[in-house]
Amino acid sequence: METVLMDNVWVIIGTFLVLLMLGGFILLEAGSTRMKNAGHIAGKTIFTAGIGSLVFWAVGYGFIYGDGNWFIGLSNFFYGDTSFSEEGLSPAVDFMFQMMFALIALTIAFGGFAERAKLSAYVVFAVLFSAIVYPVVAHWIWGGGWLADHGKQDFAGSTVVHLTGAMAALAATIILKPRIGKYNKNGSTNNLAGHNQVYTALAVLLLWVGWFGFNGASTFGVSEAFFGYVILNTQLAAAAGALAAMFTVWAITGKADVPTTLNGALAGLVAITASCGFVEPWAAVVIGAIGGIIVYGSMRFFDRARIDDPIFALSVHGTVGVWGTISTGFFATESLSIGADWGLPGLFYGGGLEQLMVQILGVVASGAYAFIASFIILKVMDKVMGGLRVTEEEEIIGLDLSEHGSYGYPENISPLNEQQAK
Amino acid sequence: MTSDMNYEAIHLMRKQEIHKQTTSEHLNQWHDELMKRVVHLAIEKVEAEQGRIPAPFAFFVMGSAGRREQSIWSDQDHGIVFDGKKEHKRYFLRLGKEIVTGLELTGYQRCDGKVMASESMWTQTLASWSEQVIGWLEQASWQSLRHFSTFFDSRVLIGQKNLLAKVKVTTFCYLENHRQLYNRFIDNFDFIRKGTNIFGKLLTEQSGPMSGRVPIKTTTILPYVNAMRLLALHHQESRASTLQRMQELKTKYTFLQEYEAIYHQLMEFRFVHTKAAENYDAVHYIPLHQLSKDDKKELKQFMKSGSELFQLAKEAIETECSKW
Repeated sequence: METVLMDNVWVIIGTFLVLLMLGGFILLEAGSTRMKNAGHIAGKTIFTAGIGSLVFWAVGYGFIYGDGNWFIGLSNFFYGDTSFSEEGLSPAVDFMFQMMFALIALTIAFGGFAERAKLSAYVVFAVLFSAIVYPVVAHWIWGGGWLADHGKQDFAGSTVVHLTGAMAALAATIILKPRIGKYNKNGSTNNLAGHNQVYTALAVLLLWVGWFGFNGASTFGVSEAFFGYVILNTQLAAAAGALAAMFTVWAITGKADVPTTLNGALAGLVAITASCGFVEPWAAVVIGAIGGIIVYGSMRFFDRARIDDPIFALSVHGTVGVWGTISTGFFATESLSIGADWGLPGLFYGGGLEQLMVQILGVVASGAYAFIASFIILKVMDKVMGGLRVTEEEEIIGLDLSEHGSYGYPENISPLNEQQAK
Repeated sequence: MTSDMNYEAIHLMRKQEIHKQTTSEHLNQWHDELMKRVVHLAIEKVEAEQGRIPAPFAFFVMGSAGRREQSIWSDQDHGIVFDGKKEHKRYFLRLGKEIVTGLELTGYQRCDGKVMASESMWTQTLASWSEQVIGWLEQASWQSLRHFSTFFDSRVLIGQKNLLAKVKVTTFCYLENHRQLYNRFIDNFDFIRKGTNIFGKLLTEQSGPMSGRVPIKTTTILPYVNAMRLLALHHQESRASTLQRMQELKTKYTFLQEYEAIYHQLMEFRFVHTKAAENYDAVHYIPLHQLSKDDKKELKQFMKSGSELFQLAKEAIETECSKW
């Protein structure tokens, strides 16, 4: 009984930690974008979390975990279970923890909207993503859907949360097109630098701590204190990711670029999310380091492909999400896979190619669904709403003023305020 | 109106002739001739408006023009020193303004840092110039030493050469008594932007209109310029051209013989690879795709030699300063 209560307490603490990650995303997105959009980008994270919470309560949870078929769950809508089981988690605790993951995926998806999408686009897409996109992938892998039947390993959501969010962000950024001034006529890229690297660094630290809840509480209990092992792997991967990214960018460009270093830490965290409960610590270091290296390559790739990704969501959560998911196909140990009744060992632990193929299948299927579903939704929204993007004038004056009528940094428009005061 | 038309004629001549220049040396002689014509026209115009020039003066160029290192495109860096009364300053500022207009109309863009004879700081009486330069050295801040460096790479284009020489002599006298300043110069000049990464690949700009291009000015040319300015200051050599400084000082520093040849090659290399530059910003960069394998190797060698030369100059000054 005491253990069950402790399980519940631990997972609800994890829930709080994951919710606080939204604070990390607020700082990350605000710091990575320009001053004129800071208030907007911070505020929209709060109201879209509100929308996501209500939709998840109404239908999201039911589509994921309700009784249904291989594709989707179809019960438990408008969730409200007050029961307490003497085994396992209280349903409400479990529900709350699951809801946080949906909110994180939604926030990642909005990385592709940054600095140019209409406020109304955020509202409508928050509803549709939370109802149609995220729950389907989550059902496939965590809710007893067809990928779960194949033994797909995703401990805390490299695919379900990060890749799904990133694929929606990719669809959005393709449809919205690059921000004004991002690319020159001769094909070269301009660096529309974020306005506050301190925010971005604090964001990474906040997310890092939150990730202990994200991964650690995905043990769903305190049994054998396995969460400690998961958190150890999480820490090692983040550390290796930060160092690897900083070294990579320094070796290639001669400068230890700060945003790349910060993205490296996040890449390490994203990469280990799928594998933190399946691999040994040395493998966590390797997985995180490779995440840190490929995040830099991915950032350059998207830049050159003229896909404007202001928050680097596509690279950090998408490219690295893929790597993180596939990594268990190499590094999952026998005792943590077969021993835990979750898939097979990876290639380097005598499991052959089977688990690797399952992981690749999971990435391709989930990524394709998330991208196609999001793309169709956004295209329809584009037609129905008369465009997803603000006008050129609104984009130039910034979304703080154009969408909200107030400024994130009011001092910057003090001359205007003074004129109005007169 | 007549004057503007003449500026236009010079601009037309510039367009027709600039690509006929076959070497960096020829190009710089040609720039000198062109700029002289513009300044003469400006003088004619101002004299017609405001009467004859009221005092002896020198119009001098600084920066790349001062060092005879201009490319196809160049901005304006110049000043005026005059041996007259303070009341004459208004006249010379008007002249400076006309020169700026004329040079702009003939294809020399205005200096972003406002190092131009139309600005009060860069047009002064002989006495004020001396005071100002000594003030920069006394202050010895990063900014004031940047101003001093800009000024020191100067030569007279039109007017009385002895006026500028007098200001430089004042400088040398001050430095004789304040030798600790050489360490400040070393600190001020000792920033060499890396040109290659740890794999030996040439580094290019990562973003902006110049992305994919090698910043040849900051990675390759400036170490030579800064090294020779350091040695020139130390040996009271008032010539502004980096190559001339090398020629004058090679008897004192035998290693300069080798670097003189290298720098000459570097100037020609830069001339060849920036001939097609579309604007002033672009002349400081070479598109990486334009370089052959041998070109890249040669450019890396220029970078390496520049760093070596700066190191040698720095060590020579430090050794000599330690004896005082």
